[in-house]
Amino acid sequence: MIRTVAASLLLVAGACLAHTQQSSVEAHFGRGTQLMQDHLYEAAANEFEEALALDPAEPRARFQYAVCLITLGRNDDARSQFEQVRKQTGDSRYVTYYLGRLDLLASDFPSAIKKLASLAQDPPFPDTPFYLGVAYISAGDLRAGTKWLERAARLTPRDYRVHYRLARAYSSAGREQDADREYALYSQFQNEHKNTEDAARACTEALRTQPQSAAREVCYRMFDPNDPEKLTLLGQLLGDGGAYTLALDPLQRAVGLDPNSFAAWHDLGLTYFRLQRYADARAPLEKAVALRPAFYGSVVLLGGTLYMLGDDDAALPVLERALRLNPSDAETAAVVEKLRAAHAKK
Amino acid sequence: MLYSRREILLVLAAAGVCRAQELGGMASRGVKPQPRGKPSGLPFHARFTDIAARAGLRHPVIYGPPDRMDYILESMGCGVAFLDYDNDGWLDIFLLSGTRREGPVEGATNRLYKNNRDGTFTDVTQAAGLLRQGWACGVTVADYNNDGFEDLFITAWPQNILYRNNGDGTFTDVTQAAGLLHLGNRWGTGCTWVDYDRDGRLDLFVSNYLVFDFDKIPPTGKDPRCNFKGVPVNCGPRGLVPERPMLYHNNGDGTFTDVTERSGIGAVTPGFGLTAVAADLDSDGWQEIYVACDSTPSMLFHNRGDGTFAERGMQSGLAVNEDGNEQAGMGVAIGDFDTDGRLGVLKTHFCEDTVALYRNVGRLDFDDVTVRSGLGVETRYVSWGNGIVDLDNDGLPDLFWVTGSVFPEVEQKHPEFAHKTPRVLFRNLGGGRFEELLDAAGPAIAEPHTSRGVAFGDFDNDGDIDILIMNINEPPSLLRNDLVGGAHWLKVKLVGTRSNLSAVGAVVIAAYGGRRQAQAVLAASGYLSCGDKRLHFGLGEASTVDLEIAWPSGSREQLKGVRADQLVTVKEGAGIIRQERFGA
Repeated sequence: MIRTVAASLLLVAGACLAHTQQSSVEAHFGRGTQLMQDHLYEAAANEFEEALALDPAEPRARFQYAVCLITLGRNDDARSQFEQVRKQTGDSRYVTYYLGRLDLLASDFPSAIKKLASLAQDPPFPDTPFYLGVAYISAGDLRAGTKWLERAARLTPRDYRVHYRLARAYSSAGREQDADREYALYSQFQNEHKNTEDAARACTEALRTQPQSAAREVCYRMFDPNDPEKLTLLGQLLGDGGAYTLALDPLQRAVGLDPNSFAAWHDLGLTYFRLQRYADARAPLEKAVALRPAFYGSVVLLGGTLYMLGDDDAALPVLERALRLNPSDAETAAVVEKLRAAHAKK
Repeated sequence: MLYSRREILLVLAAAGVCRAQELGGMASRGVKPQPRGKPSGLPFHARFTDIAARAGLRHPVIYGPPDRMDYILESMGCGVAFLDYDNDGWLDIFLLSGTRREGPVEGATNRLYKNNRDGTFTDVTQAAGLLRQGWACGVTVADYNNDGFEDLFITAWPQNILYRNNGDGTFTDVTQAAGLLHLGNRWGTGCTWVDYDRDGRLDLFVSNYLVFDFDKIPPTGKDPRCNFKGVPVNCGPRGLVPERPMLYHNNGDGTFTDVTERSGIGAVTPGFGLTAVAADLDSDGWQEIYVACDSTPSMLFHNRGDGTFAERGMQSGLAVNEDGNEQAGMGVAIGDFDTDGRLGVLKTHFCEDTVALYRNVGRLDFDDVTVRSGLGVETRYVSWGNGIVDLDNDGLPDLFWVTGSVFPEVEQKHPEFAHKTPRVLFRNLGGGRFEELLDAAGPAIAEPHTSRGVAFGDFDNDGDIDILIMNINEPPSLLRNDLVGGAHWLKVKLVGTRSNLSAVGAVVIAAYGGRRQAQAVLAASGYLSCGDKRLHFGLGEASTVDLEIAWPSGSREQLKGVRADQLVTVKEGAGIIRQERFGA
């Protein structure tokens, strides 16, 4: 019973992060990461700033702070932060990627090309070739730009931006047939994107207003057995609407199609957890934590799962880590204290 | 910052229905403004003062209820025009008007104001036969029957109107006689005269917005899906039915024939069409038609030169922004902002998005240079009528647009989305860069209004460009430009002979001080509006200018060493037939 209550508390804690201030670098970093996950970049930037005020030599916080600044359009500030990270840690593919993108935004195309091209063999993000292609085209090198956009289209074949840029490049080169093909792909994926937005809206509304069986029909209009992102979204919407059992199938399919999808693993683990199927929740959550070790929501859920499974030895270090990421989580703190006490008695 | 697709899906999933409905029915991208750089510190010599009341423009332009916009029709407002209806060489003013659903409003009518040549205007609406109450939207001005007097075509819901200028200070509604009455209700918006087949007669292009019926569209608060930032607002355009544009051929006998299908215009996928502008964008002597579309891809009709058009919006780069996202196209300005001798495009959009500035790179290919030009700093306002105009005569065309919300209810909950918002002015720094002037161009720029249409012209004939603005449920603004600094300028008035008499569609390239600036004679621009047809070139320090004129008939003319600081009238095939120094 206690475990059940504790699990519920952990679940709540995992879903909504308390905002009580706690001053430790790890705490601010954890909160900032969570806020970034929720796309609350301004608040996230504040957390990273707090972390840096406590420890200016903390490169992870500075890096994430810089990423927030780019998202907020504060490009000059972001550049300065990335440069500091580089000074602290030496060259990093991730820093070079963002500096390249900043050069692109500043219309310094030669510098953008130099930086992004240096990442070509081992790109830190799948959209690196896209930005390199855009940089080449902006610099007037249509041929090189086209080559990199073609590579981007292979890496991210469902990204309509890539197909639009590629179509424009082919148009400029007078390759009308290739352009028409890319325009068609652009149109297809952009329509899919819009349709997905519409379908998601309809699904959420149906889950709110209709019985689950009827809502399932509405929601399954967005079911695409070959698209892991859509499957993940479907699972998330069903889960958010309380249809946990229904959410399992699309999420299982999603992790099968894209084993590196953090969102799919996290949501699958969360759904099993919500269904109190803790044994099933463990592996997906371990995978999610491996993919995003600093994401408090996954860490606390994994700790809670292990705890519910009775594997207290495994649960304790995970919950301690969750607590470091979010020291204001009183429920987790209570469980940790209890586990420590039990451990001490052994 | 653009989200990846996965991130967007995550955002949707996380936020659920609230987030999904946050943007209402308008295309907006949640774009954060770019940081403002250090001010250039360069002086800006133009200073604007709103003299509308002093000039006699005191009647408010009625458009829907004073404090609400329950229907999208009430929120879209209308255009304005500078014209010279009596050929006295001084710009007169034509203001469109809406009404209220509840019933006729006293004084709500389209209005014609005659220029008294002393900075004031006289309302001559009644004498001119132009009294009319209804939901007027757009206006295009040109001499469609080549009789020497400018005529008016007005789009409106539910029926458009053609007024023929009788040449004696009066107008006659000839819509029916011209064959321009259409069956059923339609919401005409953008309109422009265009001689698409180069027969010397002006044809007529009309864009239509959407299928509108007060009784079929739920008003604010009656449909939970119509919502902006969590506040119930009027519905649309998304979720409503878009319409196709139309093209009418001028038969030369006062009548028109609907050639929408025959010309290929009718083959386009319907969109939420607003401002339509005609200009020769690929310099092949045939005019294209560009339509700003609201939340659907904008349309570029490429003139094939055989009486037909091909829609090439996507291929040209003018349909969407550089990442392929559609925007809420409202106003369109055509001009050569980078003085490379080619016509570029400025299109305005919704708030939380940038405007779009497109550089013409030739062969009907356009580059989106919005962010690299420095325009990404401004994303706060819903933006409407616009212009690419040299406001300080330094030889570099500046960018100007007016703004105003469509959801008055929202500012109570979100003060950052004010209903009345200021005008926006970006001065041209050269080198493809622009700088926003927040308060360096006079008090009239920062004044907040809910504005829509805008027209540019030199109403007081003093050698600079003034600005006429439609404000919803307020009197219009007339921004007088009090320019100092002594920079030179030249105005060019074209009179067609083989071409249409108004020379609509002509392109003039002025070469001065190492620059080549193209300007087109337009019958419509900005948002559903029409400006001065006398082309105005700021020349900076240059005291002479060479002109190359491409007439709509296909003929070309060159004029060398034209002196600055005057208005020259050029007649097709006859060169300069008149030179006027203002104030002399």
